[in-house]
Amino acid sequence: MDFRTISPQTTEELLEAIKQNQGKHFRFGAGYTDLIPELEMQMENGLIVINLAKLKDSNFTSIFLSEDGIRIGALTTMTDVLSNKHLQKFPVLIEAVESFASVQIRSVATVGGNLCTASPAGDVSCALVALGAVSEILIANGQIRTVPLTEFFTGVKTTVLKKNELLRSVLIPHQKSAERILSGFIKIGNRNSMEIALASLAYHITTDKNGIITSAGTAVGSVAETIRYTESACEFLLGKNMDQLSEEDKETFADNVLKYANPISDIRASAWYRHQVLWNISKSIL
Amino acid sequence: METAQSKISFTINGKKVERRVRSSMLLIDFIRNELKLKGTKPGCLGGECGACTVLVDGVAVNSCLYLVINVDGKSVTTVEGLSGEEQSLDVVQLSMVEHGAVQCGFCTPGMVMAIKSFKSQCDHNHHTPDREEIKKNLEGNICRCTGYVKIIDAVEALF
Repeated sequence: MDFRTISPQTTEELLEAIKQNQGKHFRFGAGYTDLIPELEMQMENGLIVINLAKLKDSNFTSIFLSEDGIRIGALTTMTDVLSNKHLQKFPVLIEAVESFASVQIRSVATVGGNLCTASPAGDVSCALVALGAVSEILIANGQIRTVPLTEFFTGVKTTVLKKNELLRSVLIPHQKSAERILSGFIKIGNRNSMEIALASLAYHITTDKNGIITSAGTAVGSVAETIRYTESACEFLLGKNMDQLSEEDKETFADNVLKYANPISDIRASAWYRHQVLWNISKSIL
Repeated sequence: METAQSKISFTINGKKVERRVRSSMLLIDFIRNELKLKGTKPGCLGGECGACTVLVDGVAVNSCLYLVINVDGKSVTTVEGLSGEEQSLDVVQLSMVEHGAVQCGFCTPGMVMAIKSFKSQCDHNHHTPDREEIKKNLEGNICRCTGYVKIIDAVEALF
């Protein structure tokens, strides 16, 4: 593995590095837990790595409350997420991070890296999609553009990011105040630790004091080319009473989740299994 | 401007090191090949097994997935930093010995460093972990000999 590096410390240096290298082959490195194994497997000739590990810009490195929601910098680590007090009200996110890799990897792997790797199995990405988060993308000219995460992934390992852009942060918009929250992350794998999901379901559902569902966000992982927001399943739940869902309602919800699944058979599981297990876990959450 | 070499300055096991290194060099290669500290083990070299675990500013990381240029200005501890000729074994190592938590020994340095990091964190939060939490915190370290029971016993006895 051999590459050259640029280690910007300020946003100005970062933007300059991006502009200077538009004609060259470069990639960003943050936590390196995906990039190093990938490059060890297959080195890319003439690669320049823009090393983000030394960047000192709190927009990238912090988690903070703002008027419009909670903003998570792309360079915050999984461990930072677990210890942040504002994020504890999103069990879906906390459970996704806890299910992710190992403590050694959680200490260095970044939220932005999980999103930009754009794996269909990205645990944290799946949770953020369920929460209706929005990506905030820094363009080399210094401007910011925003893209909802539901539109961020364009295929296996591809995103809407252009060569002169990088992910700066994600915003979890403020949620309606809720009486009750049903929120969690279900990851199906062959073992409990260090697992890549065979299928996963992220859900964050809120009700008012009468049990009426006021908001619903569910997303699925490892069952399609990208993580998918299961919009019709969410719409189906809105306005229903959480405590009075019939067996038929629960099955209709699961059927709706399955509309977004287009799984493949691979070394880890068959398409048939992924279908079945996704239907079962979808029904089980209600 | 991009560089193929970088100058770094950091401390390892309390000693200051200043070197010019290849920018893409891994921390494990620097530790084993440049500093000749062979206690840090190369296992899977992909972040799966934890044999190469070291502490960076007190936190356990896989040295096979860490660029040495990114320890610039930081403090690194390897298993050699826990004990020496004048210093007896660290409490983690003593507990491992007492509980028979070592068989072939290949995973042991990484295991010790992961436990060291976990213990410091628990001590910092005045927290006594249960067995489930101990297991959860060792999920990044693979041992093919012991079946883990004695390792978990050794960690439990630290609290």
